[in-house]
Amino acid sequence: MIVHVNVLSYLLALGLAVILGLALRLPLLPERPMRYSWSISVIFPTAILSLGFYAMLVQLGYQGLMVAASTGVITALFCKFLLEKLVPRPEDS
Amino acid sequence: MNEVLGIIIAAIICWFNFVLIDTWMGLPENPGVKGAEVIGRAVKKRGGSLAGGFFQGNIVCSPDASAGTLLASVGSYAIGIPEGGLIAATLVYFGNRLCADPGYAGTTGALSITLIIYLTSMVGMKPEFYIVGMVLAIITIQGLAHPTASRLLGKLAQKMGRHTKMT
Repeated sequence: MIVHVNVLSYLLALGLAVILGLALRLPLLPERPMRYSWSISVIFPTAILSLGFYAMLVQLGYQGLMVAASTGVITALFCKFLLEKLVPRPEDS
Repeated sequence: MNEVLGIIIAAIICWFNFVLIDTWMGLPENPGVKGAEVIGRAVKKRGGSLAGGFFQGNIVCSPDASAGTLLASVGSYAIGIPEGGLIAATLVYFGNRLCADPGYAGTTGALSITLIIYLTSMVGMKPEFYIVGMVLAIITIQGLAHPTASRLLGKLAQKMGRHTKMT
């Protein structure tokens, strides 16, 4: 099977999401024990969402370094300011 | 590769992928929601293991590594590698959060099976093998005998240090 991706674009989206996430003072990793943590961190879910969002845009026909860079930036902002409001943690967590 | 052989191999890979990740992420330790606790206690009442019952209840109540494995296989088949798997991981994450689950198991399961599908595609394994394989794998946990499957899951949880402390 042929992998038809522009690896550099994915790395750019990922890298910018991580750098901006750190600049926005998101923690690098969730607190321990991680499997029960509801914290929004740079590695999870910001980095993963940046890859997923860019993959969605690629499938919609938008790709390239500018799109990847925008995706990384918007994902970091989304995770910092919107994610917790959109899918909040349960009250008893 | 022969289809039947491919499906059998994929089923084994899928089984280990989702059972090990879900156990590692602590599904047998606690019921995430009330429904999972009800299922766990019902399984125990029928002679099963409480930890295994919680595992079974949790994978019914939110999209954990089992759903991640299946959806990433479907995504890889329908869209391609790795986009299908990455999109599946993202959707599973939001599904998890909507189901009162932080989302580690589902997302990890989707990403790991995407990597596995990519690597095994080099020896002729197709994503569709993993779709059928995952359905077969989940049948062994949820579709044949809950108490027996839960005892196996409970033993595995014990070995991995994830057995429930609840009684």
